[in-house]
Amino acid sequence: MVDTIATSTWAVETCGLTKRYPLAWKRKVLVALDHLDLQIRPGEVFGLLGPNGSGKSTTLKMLLGLVIPNEGEARIFGLPPDSLDARRRVGFLPENPYFYSFLNGDETLRFYGKLCGVAGAALEKRVEDLIDLVGLQNGRERPLRSYSKGMLQRIGLAQALIHDPDLLFLDEPTAGVDPLGSAQIRDLILRLKKMGKTVVFSSHLLEQVQEVADRVAIFSLGKKVLEGSLDSLLAESRETQVQIPGELDSPRQEQVLRLLGEAGIDPAGVRFSRPRLSLEQLYLRTIQTQPGPSARDSQPRP
Amino acid sequence: MTGLPLRLRLHRAFLIALILGLWAPAKIVWELRIAHAQDRLRYQGVTLTRQLRDQLGQGLTIGVLSGMRSVVADFVWLEVTVAWENEEWFRMGGLINLCTALQPRSITFWDMGGWQLAWNASVAATKDLSLPNQLRREKASRFWIERGLAIYKRGIENNPENWRLWADTGSLYEQRLGDYRTAAYYFGEAAKRPNCPTFYERFPAIMYGYGDDDRASYEAWKALWERLTPAQRAEPRHESDRIEQEIKRLEQKLSIPKEKRVFPN
Amino acid sequence: MIASLYRIIVIGRNTLTEAVRQKVLSVLLIFALVLVASSVLVSQLATPGLDAAGLIDEQIKFVKDFGCGAIGLFGFAIALLSTAQLIPQELHNRTIYTILAKPVRRSEFLLGKFLGVVLLVALAVALMSTAFGLSLYWEEVKGVAYADSVYGGMAPHFPQVVDKVRQYEAEAAQVQAHGGDSAAQTQEMRALDEKYRLQETNWEGCKNVVEDYDRDVGRIQGQIRDPQLIEAVLLIFAKLIMTTGIALLISTFATSSIFTIVTTFMIYLIGHLESVARDVWFQRGAEVSIWQSGLLGFLSLLIPDMNSFTIVDEILAGNHVPWSHALNLLGYANVYLVVLLALSIVIFDYREI
Repeated sequence: MVDTIATSTWAVETCGLTKRYPLAWKRKVLVALDHLDLQIRPGEVFGLLGPNGSGKSTTLKMLLGLVIPNEGEARIFGLPPDSLDARRRVGFLPENPYFYSFLNGDETLRFYGKLCGVAGAALEKRVEDLIDLVGLQNGRERPLRSYSKGMLQRIGLAQALIHDPDLLFLDEPTAGVDPLGSAQIRDLILRLKKMGKTVVFSSHLLEQVQEVADRVAIFSLGKKVLEGSLDSLLAESRETQVQIPGELDSPRQEQVLRLLGEAGIDPAGVRFSRPRLSLEQLYLRTIQTQPGPSARDSQPRP
Repeated sequence: MTGLPLRLRLHRAFLIALILGLWAPAKIVWELRIAHAQDRLRYQGVTLTRQLRDQLGQGLTIGVLSGMRSVVADFVWLEVTVAWENEEWFRMGGLINLCTALQPRSITFWDMGGWQLAWNASVAATKDLSLPNQLRREKASRFWIERGLAIYKRGIENNPENWRLWADTGSLYEQRLGDYRTAAYYFGEAAKRPNCPTFYERFPAIMYGYGDDDRASYEAWKALWERLTPAQRAEPRHESDRIEQEIKRLEQKLSIPKEKRVFPN
Repeated sequence: MIASLYRIIVIGRNTLTEAVRQKVLSVLLIFALVLVASSVLVSQLATPGLDAAGLIDEQIKFVKDFGCGAIGLFGFAIALLSTAQLIPQELHNRTIYTILAKPVRRSEFLLGKFLGVVLLVALAVALMSTAFGLSLYWEEVKGVAYADSVYGGMAPHFPQVVDKVRQYEAEAAQVQAHGGDSAAQTQEMRALDEKYRLQETNWEGCKNVVEDYDRDVGRIQGQIRDPQLIEAVLLIFAKLIMTTGIALLISTFATSSIFTIVTTFMIYLIGHLESVARDVWFQRGAEVSIWQSGLLGFLSLLIPDMNSFTIVDEILAGNHVPWSHALNLLGYANVYLVVLLALSIVIFDYREI
């Protein structure tokens, strides 16, 4: 199945990918992932959704070449995931800070950069750029063990990007991050998309997934249950929304209803409502107008 | 199927078998070569016999097994000094045997062990008032001298190229047994060993002199003189003046005919 | 290939940095204390009645033995404990995920971690050897001072006597450097001797005493400034690195650090008896059954012969071990290490993480 497709078509492709773990004390087998077929196009933002234990992490680990599948195959840009060439094009942000806590920010980036084959002046420049990008000037000299959760996420993003990969795997990128940081990460994902990079991320925060993803897959108990673009999945095909600037008082509401009735629409099914800001939008609006301690920690981008 | 696919498992097993299969015979051959080389170096390891294990106890046995033989032997040697201070001669003798068994190639233990037995223990025996009469004390003294001698001789067996033990044995024969002939032999052997102090080369002749064997003494002096090259005779350490003096004196005393003399004048 | 080596070095340096920043080497302070303590202790152990030679020999032997033993012991502890938690810690903290997500092979990762520990052990051994060297030098100073006091006690104007003899030796050396035939030389030497005999009342005695003194001091210095001690330290280091290799291999499939530590320690001890096992297999004595000799033979195929490294004892006892033999042993250790690393890589490549 995989061989018939041109290698340049898909960023990520799996075919029948399966992983089983033996449970020693129960004499049973845990099927962590059950015959996953997945295709992700280059340049897409793809969300992996599902409860804990549904197979999202296992999928990510197999796509990174960390875990060997029992059955099936995976390809990253047409290459096997455990090949060096594939991993050169992939960046990974783990869900927890799996970094060396005795290194400081600069050293961490340099260490991973060297492992990716970036060196010398190019490495120094990238380190500077990334520190700026994620806003870690304050913490770069301090060891990682002194970092807050938000700072750890940021250094995580920086090391994932150190070698300018084409494909990014982000495992719960905004878990435990404050809304301002979350928004920045979301902006970053969108910016990466604009640069033509592919982003695959898993998250529990459905609102956030909704904001950035092009397509999503929903996992449950090791199986991929649903897959598709957000537009097609979420759109309620049976209704249409119309947004009108300004308030509409009762008499004019009646006018609209009459107009709709003439267009053949049953006025009984029509609802007028006040659109609501999302809480996030209110929060961000409020925070950004108040200079406060959190704003100093992370530099908001204009 | 869980875990690794069978294909990979077989691949892994094959690689391990290949590596071990290539290495195991090479390893044995190499080890035998090393053992052979060590035999030639007269390297005496220690075989941990049951008796040795019992004497050492568990902690020290592990010490030996960890390759800290010399430290273990040093610890045991401290006990020798304690036993000496407490005049526990038999215990001391046993500990000396233990030390020398642990480190047969360390001269210190043989050298000092023999001294402790043939001098210290033996002299103490002559003053041991628990024995009824002088004869018994002499016998006891002799017993310890014999034990000291045994130590020296075993030491020489294990370290034939070390001059010190030969010299010690010579001293034992000279000082403790009054046997100048045998002492002369041992001093002569010592002088042949590398790094021996030069003056030992004169001891055989001197020993024969002590034993009032002028003829043997003369022969020894003469042999020494003839062995020395002219360059060596110029060196002060060989004391060629003294050798010459002794030869002349003995030639006079023994009335050697002029033609056969080394120094006819 | 170069890129691969570079990655290994990067990981190696990182591992070393971790150990240093976590102050692993501060345990060496205890080592230094042990050295100082043993040196002081040894000075108290004067076996009374011994001549100066025996006394000092005994002390030097103790300090050498204890020093090398301590280097071996502390080095072993550092090597074993560092290696045992190398892989488990990476797995537990999951830092291994981040690294292996980068274009790094598992074998490079393993070799890099190993390199880090080797560097750590090398650093530790270098520091300990320096301290050991200093303690030996201190023994030499003490020994020479003691000899000075003993000889000074025997002859009150001993220093002047020494000066006189040194003068004589200098002039004698000039005479011999001039060359010429031996008869003429002998004449000159006699004349020189006469000249000094007239100046000193007991010239022969003076020469003898200084000769004895020189010999005693020379013997002390010979034991201390023994270049073979470098050989000894290298052999100890090789043994430590083999231990590291064994620990690494065990840790690739072990589930806990404790298992690795205990098993490696057992193999280390058994390794000292491997030569016995080998001998049993080859000679097959009557009192050993075929099964027992088979088992011992099998063990001797795999377990390293640690006992051959105890030739360090020979060096400490002052006996000469030629460098060719030491190089033979070092070669054996290196090849064995390569085998251990190869096996470790094979096992680790397929390990579930």
